[in-house]
Amino acid sequence: MKKLMILPVAALIGLLFLQANPKPEAETFVTLHAEAPDLPSDVKAIVQQKCYGCHNADSKNEKGKAKLDWDALEAAKKSKAIATMGKITEALEEGSMPPSRFLESNPDKKLTAAEVETLMEWSTGKKKK
Amino acid sequence: MKAWKYLLGGGAILLLVIQLVPNELPEVIDENPNDLIGSGIVSDEVASMLQKSCYDCHSNTTRYPWYSYVAPASWLVAKDIREGREEVNFSDWTTYEMTDQLMILDDIYSEVEEEHMPLPIYTILHSEAKLTPEQRQKIMEWAETTMDIIAEEVDSDF
Repeated sequence: MKKLMILPVAALIGLLFLQANPKPEAETFVTLHAEAPDLPSDVKAIVQQKCYGCHNADSKNEKGKAKLDWDALEAAKKSKAIATMGKITEALEEGSMPPSRFLESNPDKKLTAAEVETLMEWSTGKKKK
Repeated sequence: MKAWKYLLGGGAILLLVIQLVPNELPEVIDENPNDLIGSGIVSDEVASMLQKSCYDCHSNTTRYPWYSYVAPASWLVAKDIREGREEVNFSDWTTYEMTDQLMILDDIYSEVEEEHMPLPIYTILHSEAKLTPEQRQKIMEWAETTMDIIAEEVDSDF
């Protein structure tokens, strides 16, 4: 009888271990993403509409993807995020994005002055979420 | 027979004449208290790689080869070094803002990874500046680690 008790006890202990395992992983996930620049909704809306077409993880525009990938930025660590946001600020200051050649065939993708301002406030860190 | 003689003579005269075109090579400065090397964020190993492969164009301590005094090569050398120092001058490292340092390190990572730097035209003439895959890896790892260290000091909540 006593020997038979071992089985359910072992199973119970096993279950406890199984439960305990995924937890640390979930915690790491949260900490990693705590530093990512969670995009404010107005910034996200502009990005989605005017930048994301070329700057995403599955983009066919290899150069655009290599220079900036919004999907990667949202998951990036602090150092990479600051560097990327600095480069975004530079591109906005120079007015080099979206590229003028792209705008010739897609005039609706041009950033308005108000949109540039919204993006800059965020990329320079002046705007809190 | 005569035609090629004229052509050769003309070429020689042209080569002599273009030596008279004024061309200023960017200045060499030996004392650089703000240099990256000596700022404490780079190991001797990485420092020597950077010196060998980057510093001719990206620092004040350019070692000019003989042909950099002969036109037309001198024009290209002057232009590349001027632009190189403008992009990043490791001799001015500590004067850069932290965000700029992060942006530069991020660029170092991708330029070295994609083999855009050192420029192929430069490594043709300076074979010792060529980076092996292992050296590239070491520079990339250094750039990434250093970015994390600098980012920790940035006081902001990105």
